[in-house]
Amino acid sequence: MHEMKWIPEDIETYLNVKEYVDTVVVPLYGISMDKEMKQSAEAAEFITLLTTRIERQFTGRLILFPPFTYLKKDPIEKALADLFEWHNVLKADFKHIFYLTSDSDWRLKEDMLQGTLIWLPSIPLKSMNDSQKFELIDNQSQQLFSILTDKWIESE
Amino acid sequence: MGKNNVTRRQFLSYTLTGVGGFMAAGMLMPMLRFAVDPVLKADAGGEFIQTPKKASELTSEPTRVDFTYKQKDAWYESDVTSTAWIYKDDNGKIVALSPICKHLGCTVNWNTDKAHPNQFFCPCHFGRYEKNGKNIPGTPPPQPLDLYPVQVKNGYIYLGKAQPRTHV
Repeated sequence: MHEMKWIPEDIETYLNVKEYVDTVVVPLYGISMDKEMKQSAEAAEFITLLTTRIERQFTGRLILFPPFTYLKKDPIEKALADLFEWHNVLKADFKHIFYLTSDSDWRLKEDMLQGTLIWLPSIPLKSMNDSQKFELIDNQSQQLFSILTDKWIESE
Repeated sequence: MGKNNVTRRQFLSYTLTGVGGFMAAGMLMPMLRFAVDPVLKADAGGEFIQTPKKASELTSEPTRVDFTYKQKDAWYESDVTSTAWIYKDDNGKIVALSPICKHLGCTVNWNTDKAHPNQFFCPCHFGRYEKNGKNIPGTPPPQPLDLYPVQVKNGYIYLGKAQPRTHV
C-alpha cells in the first residue's frame, strides 16, 4: 500500500485499516469564470500537487478526500454552510480534519471552522520546469508535514 | 551472347522478386513485432534507474535521494518520484533503503525522533527501524524496510526495484 486516495483500491485498503486512519485532508477549491478563471485553475493545480505530496508522505494515517468545490461568485457564507455539512459527516470517522486552500476568503472564517485550516498563497507554476516545480512543492510540503505531525503529537 | 548471360526475362523476374520480397517484409515485420512485442519488452522490475546522487558523495549517514521515472497507469503515463535513504555501511558497501513504512505505508525519516536518535522513524504510528532497516520490536512495523538493489555506473548510483526482506 502506497497511497490513500479516493479510488476504489485505496478505499478498500482504508476500510481494512480504518482504526489506524484518524486524519482526513480536504482541498478547498474556489471556482471562478471569466477574468479569474486562469487564477482559479492555477490555485487548484497548486493545492492538488501539495495534497498529493502530503498524502504520499502520510499514507497509512490519513486519507485524501475529493476536493470541496464552490463558486467564487457566491458569498463565502454559503460555502461555509455546505462545508459544515461535510464536517459533520467527516467528524464521525476522523479525529483530525485538515482543510487546505489558497483562497484567502477562508481566513476570515477560520474561527468558525471546526477543523484545521491551512492557507497557502498560490504560486503560479507555469513558467517552471519539472525539477523546479518538484523542489518548490517539496519545500512547501515539508512545512505542512510538521503542522500535521505536531497535531498528532499534541493529541497523544 | 555468352552462356552465362542473364536474359531479359530472368533479370526482370529476379528484380521483381527481390523488390516484392523487400516490400512484403516491410509490411510483415511490424506485424510480427506487434505479435511478439511483450516478449521483446524488458522486464520493468529488472530495470535500474539513475539517481542524481554520486557514489563518492555518500557517507555513513543516511541521506535522502529522490529519483524520477515514468510510470504507466492504465493509458496515462506520468512521472513518479521515489525516494531512497542511502549510506555506506562499515564495510564500505552502499545500502539503499525504501522509505515506505512496512506498517501502513507512511514515509519514514532518518533521525527525526529526539527520544530515539540514529533510527528511522515513522511519524504516523511511531514505528522505528535501526539504521540497517531492521524493525524495532515493540513498534508497529512487522518487517524490515525494503532494500533497493544498487549499481554504480559512471560514478552515479542506480537503483532497481525495492525488495522486501523477512529478516536483516
